[in-house]
Amino acid sequence: MAAKAKHVFSLKILAECSTTKARTCLFTLPHSVVETPVFMPVGTQGTLKGLLLDQLDELDCRIMLGNTYHLGHRPGPELLEEAGGLHKFMGWKRSLLTDSGGFQMVSLLKLAEITEDGVQFESPHDGSIMMLTPEKSIEIQNAIGADIMMQLDDVVHSTTTGPRVEEAMHRTIRWLDRCLKANKRPKEQCIFPIVQGGLDSQLRKQCAIELTKRDVAGFAVGGLSGGEEKSLFWKMVTLSTDHLPYEKPRYLMGVGFAVDLVVCVALGCDMFDCVYPTRTARFGSALVDTGLLNLKNKNFSEDFQPIDKNCQCSTCKSYTRAYLHTMVTNETVACSLVTVHNVAYQLRLMKRIRESILEDKFPKFIQTFFTTMFPNKNYPEWAIEALKSVNVNLR
Amino acid sequence: MMKFVLKNVKNGYRAGVISELGNQPDKTVDTPFCMLYTRGGSAPHLSRDVLNRLKNLPLVAHMPLNILADHHEAVRKFQHGIGKFAAMEDRVVYCSLHDPSTLVKSGYNDKHGVSVWGKGGKLKLDTELFMKIQESFQPDIYQALSDGDTDINSTRKRCIKVVDRTLSFLDSILDIHNKSERLKKTAIFGSIVGGYNEAERVRCVKETVSRPVQGFVIEGFFNPGPDTEHFQINECVNLLQKIIEILPVDKPRLMQSIWPPDAVIQAYELGIDIFDSSYPYVVTERSSALVFTYIIPTEETEGEELPETYEINLTDKKYFADFSPLLKDCKCYTCENYTRSYVNHLLNTKELLASILLMIHNFHHYFEFFESLRRSISDGKLEDLKKLINKPKKLPSVER
Ligand SMILES: [Zn+2]
Ligand SMILES: [Zn+2]
Repeated sequence: MAAKAKHVFSLKILAECSTTKARTCLFTLPHSVVETPVFMPVGTQGTLKGLLLDQLDELDCRIMLGNTYHLGHRPGPELLEEAGGLHKFMGWKRSLLTDSGGFQMVSLLKLAEITEDGVQFESPHDGSIMMLTPEKSIEIQNAIGADIMMQLDDVVHSTTTGPRVEEAMHRTIRWLDRCLKANKRPKEQCIFPIVQGGLDSQLRKQCAIELTKRDVAGFAVGGLSGGEEKSLFWKMVTLSTDHLPYEKPRYLMGVGFAVDLVVCVALGCDMFDCVYPTRTARFGSALVDTGLLNLKNKNFSEDFQPIDKNCQCSTCKSYTRAYLHTMVTNETVACSLVTVHNVAYQLRLMKRIRESILEDKFPKFIQTFFTTMFPNKNYPEWAIEALKSVNVNLR
Repeated sequence: MMKFVLKNVKNGYRAGVISELGNQPDKTVDTPFCMLYTRGGSAPHLSRDVLNRLKNLPLVAHMPLNILADHHEAVRKFQHGIGKFAAMEDRVVYCSLHDPSTLVKSGYNDKHGVSVWGKGGKLKLDTELFMKIQESFQPDIYQALSDGDTDINSTRKRCIKVVDRTLSFLDSILDIHNKSERLKKTAIFGSIVGGYNEAERVRCVKETVSRPVQGFVIEGFFNPGPDTEHFQINECVNLLQKIIEILPVDKPRLMQSIWPPDAVIQAYELGIDIFDSSYPYVVTERSSALVFTYIIPTEETEGEELPETYEINLTDKKYFADFSPLLKDCKCYTCENYTRSYVNHLLNTKELLASILLMIHNFHHYFEFFESLRRSISDGKLEDLKKLINKPKKLPSVER
């Protein structure tokens, strides 16, 4: 392997939890210093659902996601390059992360077929056969210019079993090497490998160990949160973090429900993303510590409190649930208002987690969080088990 | 109670100041002005947080009743009025009967009341319900219930009927209003109706003027709705002149649905003081940005090229790789932070942010136009402004 190069991508561990595997770190990227554990909102098409750049700044959002599949199609890599990258195109000064495009291709396009070369697919626009190779994915991601790029991985559904899982794991490693080689801007953009291996502990462990041999800035844990049993999900997460280097950030892809975030931080994950908080906002659902408020519900028509009285977001400062109730199904402004709150909620949840780790009070935070979310103590079985594995016994 | 004072303008043009408004007694508004158009109590697409990034917001928020009326029970329980309910408590609230951009269907009014069209369909307002809503909403100004359902084709019989009804509504409303504790600080604008029948218009004005109203709303030349954009004031200019001649000079006159800047100036010259701002919303909804020039050239800028149309349509593929702002030198948040290319992308991908960015620009542009109108009046340069405004064509052709 190549000698470890000094790059701008560095992780400084500020504090670690003395009970669980949680830690809080500063992750330095070319466009911002990200405090972890972090939730990264998803701005699929180069915009976060109805939010202005200043609003994101004011929420102290320091990193967000773009989707390579969507951006590669519209506006396309040529225009993004001409604009000077996605940062300039959308006016965003802080960090960005892009996925490889592979996952969306496999999940959105029926005819995607995976060969050693790459992902072959029928263009949804003109029906022609096209190919997304590891090199092509990085080429597009280089044009987008995100601080963190994802390697193209061989995606199998999380419930798939048998030799296909092993094949995908090995191919993912081969593709990583092709991606690393194809990266034209290694100083400005790093690549995260993705730990695959389905729900097979042996394969996951093998994959993590193999990926660790490459000089990379951080690692992603992939192939999970696709509808598998939660009892298997958390075991794969904790196994992955056990075998990944301690001094590098771990990004758990596609996870963003509050309960999952709290548990997976305890299992040692640092970075998360999910479309859920922004998607659910569109349907008038607001995130709170007790779960979800569906503002469409008639119960709110004469409820003159803010969504969450402890929330400092601009929505909670000015608007009542009753007013939002009159707007949610009618006017787009309601979508922006609830999105602001939901993003604020996710970011504040992570902030509370980080502060509790800094004070070494994270286990206490977990207990309070679960008591609020499940006042009848009907905690999910998998969460009890997962937390027990890191020495937290829910009462 | 609301006060209106005409300023002594040397150039013979009408300019005034409205003050002592109900919930904002310390603030004043200069006429002519446009109100801030709202839907359901919020600026279209813009939350309070975003709206407050505009530097030139009108003080008066325009809240059409049709969408809000459904929620009057909740507002009554809330107790602090519609302004605070909609997070607009720092503005003056004017409640009109109809939304200028929503089509009002003809033939649904009778002597008991008037129909408005909200999200849930038709809502019939009689004077009792209408006043119950006003007492819940506690606006600073409201338009009296009226039957403005007339156009150029209305018969004389119809014109008589709408005047009879509107005057009878006004009497019932004044009755309730004057006894209401909650509406003590609220002003009423009487509605001037009567279609294209001069005798009926004159009767309506004379009767309304004799009642204690603080201003006038002139309506009934066309059905409110998106088509009003193409309404030509010339069709009713003589009648409008006649109406305004017999209205008292010391009370403000409001006319909705006077949209493009040339129509605004024409109506202003006839004597209208207050306008609505649903035009920038309508322009936003067709993915366009206003670009007409309202800045009177100085010696340095003389000879600079004028835009060919009032607006440009950002879905046009010619903006795909255009990294300039929507409008050169525009000081709005959108133009200072984003490009035509990016807005084109947001429109192509049907992203919500497109409407937000266009709305910010179009509001900013329209509000600045009104600022320029007031300035040109006080500087005696209205003729120069008119020349600029009358030059461009209205709509661009678009290639997608
Ligand atoms: Zn909030
Ligand atoms: Zn602008």
